Amino acid sequence: MKTLIMLLRIEWLKAAKRRIFWLAIGAFGLFTAIRAVIGIRLALTIPDAVYTLPEIWPDILRDVAGFGPLFTAILMILLFAPEFSWRTARQNIIDGLSKEQFFTGKIMLLAGLVLLFMAVAVLIGISSTMFSPDESGSIIFRPSDLSYMGGIALGLLVYGSFGLMLSTHLRSSGSALGILFLYIIVEGIIPLLTLRMESRILRDALEFLPLKVVSNLGNNLAYYPAELVDMNPMRPELDLVRLGGSDIGIYVIVALAYIMVLLGLSLLNLRKRDL
Amino acid sequence: MDDFSLNAPDMDLQDQASTSVDVIQTLDLTKRYGMRAKKSVLAVDRISFAVKQGQVFGFLGPNGSGKTTTIGMLVGIIMPTGGSFRLFGNSDSRGLTAARARVGATLETPNFYPYMSGRDNLRIVAAIKGVNRSRIKECLALVGLSRRAKHRFKTYSQGMKQRLALAAAMLNDPELIVLDEPSNGLDPQGIREIREIIHTLAERGKTIFLSSHLLVEVERTCSHVAIIRDGRIIKWGPVAEMVGEGNAVLLRSEDIDVLLGAMEAYPDATSVRKTEDGIVVALDSGDLANVTRYLSGQGIYLSLLVPHRPSLEEVFIDVTRDAMDPKTGLAS
Repeated sequence: MKTLIMLLRIEWLKAAKRRIFWLAIGAFGLFTAIRAVIGIRLALTIPDAVYTLPEIWPDILRDVAGFGPLFTAILMILLFAPEFSWRTARQNIIDGLSKEQFFTGKIMLLAGLVLLFMAVAVLIGISSTMFSPDESGSIIFRPSDLSYMGGIALGLLVYGSFGLMLSTHLRSSGSALGILFLYIIVEGIIPLLTLRMESRILRDALEFLPLKVVSNLGNNLAYYPAELVDMNPMRPELDLVRLGGSDIGIYVIVALAYIMVLLGLSLLNLRKRDL
Repeated sequence: MDDFSLNAPDMDLQDQASTSVDVIQTLDLTKRYGMRAKKSVLAVDRISFAVKQGQVFGFLGPNGSGKTTTIGMLVGIIMPTGGSFRLFGNSDSRGLTAARARVGATLETPNFYPYMSGRDNLRIVAAIKGVNRSRIKECLALVGLSRRAKHRFKTYSQGMKQRLALAAAMLNDPELIVLDEPSNGLDPQGIREIREIIHTLAERGKTIFLSSHLLVEVERTCSHVAIIRDGRIIKWGPVAEMVGEGNAVLLRSEDIDVLLGAMEAYPDATSVRKTEDGIVVALDSGDLANVTRYLSGQGIYLSLLVPHRPSLEEVFIDVTRDAMDPKTGLAS
């Protein structure tokens, strides 16, 4: 426990002194706040629109689920990868950390970032209701809101682990960011390339690619079935197929597996390679 | 004096461990970079040496000889590919991590977070080493950085960076201090200060493992040295013995060049070197009567013949000569 507190303290010192850390938190907060402002404005101008707790969460969290994972991966890379070019990773080991302790510190940093992003979103969500024309109810979160938050947090962890793995392997923030964006593009193209393929197994398998899993975990329709029901009647009229609810449980398991694999690869690399 | 037979002194690590005064002990320690036989580089080749408690041990060698790789293995950032080593008698992973808490080390360039102040950088080191924050102030004062403590590391001069590295190494009042080129980038005053700090630490009974190119400094500072070349230790022992050994003489005559030519042809001479003072000749036997007889036979009469005590620099150049660039005389 003492070691964990020490590692947390070190990572906090390293992160809190970096401008990029506060810029990223600020930008994340700003994007979340913009969504809240849009919600408030709608509530002020459209009579049927409400902006109250706990109804605000699907909207607020939808955007967090959209840009949050990429934010986490980028910030993780920017905070971690320079430790290799500055050679501070090696100095931390020389000063007495084991490679495992150093790595544990980075996992704590990742977990801290995820918690911080979620906390910022929740704080902005709750405080924004003070500007709403409607009165909020006594409930802040419904179980579905908490599930949604859990799914988003898991998505942030997958991307963050990806950033951590790229940083450990490439040891340069430029290369790691380059590969991250390249992978995002490649995974985006794969479904397009397989459009004409008739194999259903292949199409199903594509749903389990890492970024798609995160996207599925951040899909608010999966957590709010009532909205799904509301939306479906309109879709045939618009010539669109009906939406089906997804099994979040499977995506949770796959996401956890991805996190384990990515972190495992990172630790293996850190253990085997010289610093 | 120990001239190491690299293929193996019959040294059993277990037996050696009984001499608990050995702070560092390596046995056939090896590092090979690269997996493919053709492309791999043998950076450190089965080196064995021991550093005893309280020694100020100089680790010398030309660039690329394997000094930093050896130190890297000792401090845990480079994985050995063969052999073993002990730190304070520990050789297993957990024991080594614990032993490293008793070590203060800097490797190559000072490595700190550029965006943080010197003091904040030391706060991180203090947290890792489990040291009280009050030590930070003490160490900053010791290396003369108190006034710049709040300034960012990236604004420091090279000398200040070196001093901060020294402060970080001393933070936990370590029993063993490993310094890799601590005088790099320092002006003469800075070098002198570092030497004084090292002397103070040595007087306090600290064991110091020092790698440096400044051989005059090493000769003044170290009690023992090891010279490494091409990944192998080619000479090691007490500095006093190393500079005192051999049968070197300083010769001078009217025509230095004629003397040089004659001594180069002298069968008993192992090395002949022209210096500002004359010709330094290392002799196999030390038979000076033979030298004078030989030279007078050549019609050369000496104006000076005195025993020559080589400096550590001369010893170093002598034993690492093969690794020198013949054109520049610099370490290759």
